[in-house]
Amino acid sequence: MLEVYIIVIGLIFDIERFSTKDGPGIRTVVFFKGCNMNCYWCHNPEGISRAPELKFDAKKCIGCMACFRVCKNHAHRTDDDIVHTINRSACTRCFSCADACFSGALEVVGRKMTIDGVFAAVAEDTAFYEQTNGGVTLSGGEVMLQADFACELLMRCREARIHTAIETNLTASWKSYCKILPYTDLMMVDIKSMDDAAHMAATGISNKRILENIRFLASSGVPFIVRTPVIPGFSDRVENIGPIAAFVSSLKTARYYELLSYNPLGVSKAEMIGRSQKNLGSVTRETMKKLADCANQWNIRVYMDGQHIKQ
Amino acid sequence: MFTASKLQYDYGNRLYRLKERKTEQTKEKIKLFGHMNEDDYGSVPPPADFKFVPEFNDKQNATFYGAKLWGENFRRLMEVHPIYIDPDDALAGRWMFILQRFRPFESVVSNKNLEMAPIFDYSYLKPNQEKYGLLPGIGKMHHFAPDYRIGLELGWPGLLEKIRNYKAACTPEQEEFYQAEENVLLGIMRWIARTVARIREMLPAQSDAAARRNLLEMAAVNESILSGPPKTFREVCQWMAWFNMANRTFNRAGAGCQLDTILWPYYEQDKKEGRLNDEDAEFILACLLLNDPIYYQIGGPDEAGKDMTNLLSFLILEAAHDVKTSVNITMRVHDGLDERLFRRGLEILIEDKKAYPRFSGDKALVSGFMKNGYSAELARERIAVGCNWMSLPGCEFSMSDLVKINFAKVFEVAFYEYGDNGRCSTEALFQLFTTHLQKAIHCIAEGIDFHLRNQYKNAPELLLNLCCYGPIEKGLDASNGGLEYYDIAVDGAALATVADSFAALEQRIEKDKLLTWAQCREAVQHNFEGPEGARIRCILSSTDKYGHGNSLADQWAVRVAKLFTELITSSRTPDGYLMIPGLFSWANTIEFGKEVGATPNGRYRGEPISQGANPNPGFRKDGAFTAMAKAIASVQPGYGNTAPFQLELNPTIIDTENAIDNIEAIIKTHFNMGGTLLNINVVDAEQIRQAYKNPQQFPDLIVRVTGFTAYFAALSPGFQKLIMDRIVTDQ
Repeated sequence: MLEVYIIVIGLIFDIERFSTKDGPGIRTVVFFKGCNMNCYWCHNPEGISRAPELKFDAKKCIGCMACFRVCKNHAHRTDDDIVHTINRSACTRCFSCADACFSGALEVVGRKMTIDGVFAAVAEDTAFYEQTNGGVTLSGGEVMLQADFACELLMRCREARIHTAIETNLTASWKSYCKILPYTDLMMVDIKSMDDAAHMAATGISNKRILENIRFLASSGVPFIVRTPVIPGFSDRVENIGPIAAFVSSLKTARYYELLSYNPLGVSKAEMIGRSQKNLGSVTRETMKKLADCANQWNIRVYMDGQHIKQ
Repeated sequence: MFTASKLQYDYGNRLYRLKERKTEQTKEKIKLFGHMNEDDYGSVPPPADFKFVPEFNDKQNATFYGAKLWGENFRRLMEVHPIYIDPDDALAGRWMFILQRFRPFESVVSNKNLEMAPIFDYSYLKPNQEKYGLLPGIGKMHHFAPDYRIGLELGWPGLLEKIRNYKAACTPEQEEFYQAEENVLLGIMRWIARTVARIREMLPAQSDAAARRNLLEMAAVNESILSGPPKTFREVCQWMAWFNMANRTFNRAGAGCQLDTILWPYYEQDKKEGRLNDEDAEFILACLLLNDPIYYQIGGPDEAGKDMTNLLSFLILEAAHDVKTSVNITMRVHDGLDERLFRRGLEILIEDKKAYPRFSGDKALVSGFMKNGYSAELARERIAVGCNWMSLPGCEFSMSDLVKINFAKVFEVAFYEYGDNGRCSTEALFQLFTTHLQKAIHCIAEGIDFHLRNQYKNAPELLLNLCCYGPIEKGLDASNGGLEYYDIAVDGAALATVADSFAALEQRIEKDKLLTWAQCREAVQHNFEGPEGARIRCILSSTDKYGHGNSLADQWAVRVAKLFTELITSSRTPDGYLMIPGLFSWANTIEFGKEVGATPNGRYRGEPISQGANPNPGFRKDGAFTAMAKAIASVQPGYGNTAPFQLELNPTIIDTENAIDNIEAIIKTHFNMGGTLLNINVVDAEQIRQAYKNPQQFPDLIVRVTGFTAYFAALSPGFQKLIMDRIVTDQ
């Protein structure tokens, strides 16, 4: 009988060891490339596109011109012979320039990896997971756009007794979540807004299915955390957070509700991959505290940027 | 924790004033002496008009050598040493001078201090010492541990009597030795007696009743230890302070002891007899720590493996928490360590951010030392009493942290000798590196023998001899056969620089075929100058580094460390002494770097070498501590000496809910994997950047530089930058 092996390939844009902010304990975070949302505050904009992208950090350019020589599309330019820029519309993403660049200025974001490759990186820190109830967190981008890969990886980790967590936007079908839930120890899901129109305008996707899925999740028995990124001008008021906290309270089974303060890291990252993103300012600690107090009124456990805020 | 309103004698206020004074004294020291790239000490600036000139027997080089003059000069210094009494302190005295530095002294990292008086000529060793950038340790003093219990049981008079008894029955050759020891003791006792007299002089003018009472007690304590062995807790701490100060004054010796067990019997007795409560003990301990940042240990296994943590272990931590100055306390982490002590240590580390306590990994240290043929019981007695030192109290001449081999310099010799004959390989380069490392080690071994043959004639250990088993009994200096064990520590430095260099060459020349040997050699020789040089540097330095995990450089680091370990442990010195390998660069990273040209890992000519066993900063984008912990564990030589993990903790990890759990995990896992010592800094990048621009605005910022802590403001700009680069890049 012929045995057929399918090697599942994933497109991964980062694997970060020693994360203490993406789940309990010490964790390794695997970042999946590709997202079906387009949140204008995204702090990982290099995770949005489903294809590999060219990242250009001009600060690291040493002016050796190797990229100029190999680019068939003349996408690399210098303004006034000084500033090195890239004409993104001429770029066909062949990445020959990244191959020729050793200063770290040009890099490909998004690498094809096998399950074995990712698992080997995750397994490096097994001894630390054991000490802290840590493990692996799948994040991105949106993990469920590569659901098969995610499932295989979770199974491998579960087999190795590594604690598994997923950060997801919960927009996929509940059926597809059912496939991975048996291998998931913790789900971390976002509610960005209870207002569907606002949600649609900000992310490009409706919140209806997200809220539906959260209800299913709440009765699935799988531990989960709900989080809201606090974005200046979008979700930084009591009128935004209150309804979300009320909803989380009604679920009764959320481990806790966490407020995450806006991170402007995405702005420079976006520029490096040829996107534009506006810096939305910052959220003060006072504002965050006020919102945490508001959430605490709903008799749920409230966290703020990793710290438990008691009532 | 003392607050101003608490309990008798107003400990809170007294401590506050003592700390303020220390801050002022530190500022003054910086003004007087400029930068000090070494431990912060408990020394205070001497009076401006004080002058002391030692007697020299080598007038041409303005130095002295031999027991006679060391003993006489020390005694004379003690007899005129300024008296220091602070009515707020529980203990009397501060030290001000280092007799060793009245001999020629350039800097603490200089190779030209003439520590071995020129009359003892080792010029036959110098060619290879210079060729390989070696620090041979010749002429260096102390760097091994005394056993305080000997001094505490006999007391000053008992020690004096012991010396006199042996002197009365000694051979003519030994007379100089015993006379010198007697002089040392007489000097110390005179210093104490003069202090007592001054205290009594101060009494009439002391109007505050509580301060008067303290001074009376201080006088009584010191009179007591002048007439017999110390009996109470305060007497013991005062005795230890004098011993420490005398040691510092002699030659800067700073090895301490297992403080919690040594003090325990006195503490227990005092409490039983109602003389002492915990607040008193904590205050006295705080004064002891303020007196000098001597290296103490707490916790850890006794001979049989049982945890030694006692109430004093906790009080010592609390005392450190009270003083918040430079403190060098090491907690011995083993499977049986009291978890509450461990966690309290971590809490204090995170809250105070002064880099104490640090942590030693007992498991690997004990099993490692046993590999030299020693028992587990003996191995457990070995304690961490210096930057990276491990030493058996009172019986082991270890020369800890004195002997160094700069791997980068050895690499450079091999690299340039290696011609481009068209059949080059990193394998062949490694063979050549091995040959040169063997030569370097042989030169080191010969240097150790020279040192051990001559040191007693050059600079005998007159202070430490007093608290050792053997020297007084045998009439032989600790360096000259007076002790039982001679296990000489030999440390390698620049591991990451060399590992990354080998890996860069192998990756880009042999695997990727992007560069040729000729190109690399040319670029390195010319310090990566010009556009082509810059390009080649980028190509070489963009390879994965040691610390990344599963990289070529990780394999090279293990290979170099293993090679070094094998070469050191596979043979003894020609005179038969055991050598124990470690990986540590102390404060020599800058000096060692200056002696080496550019290296194939992309390091520019003259830049500092990598630190100790650490990967170079920037070894991983995420700078993961887990990766560092694994990497450093993988290169441990494993024979009982340390290859410390220098860990810079930033607020991101500190501010999370489970910070203590996570740091505990790093420490325990690192030790489970074979790690030996963790030096931890808790500092954030922004603060360090600010402090680098304006050090004086941060007078309380303390950093663990390598194994020692120092005030950031007291370090030289070069060192401040080194630390800043470490912290900023990792964050």
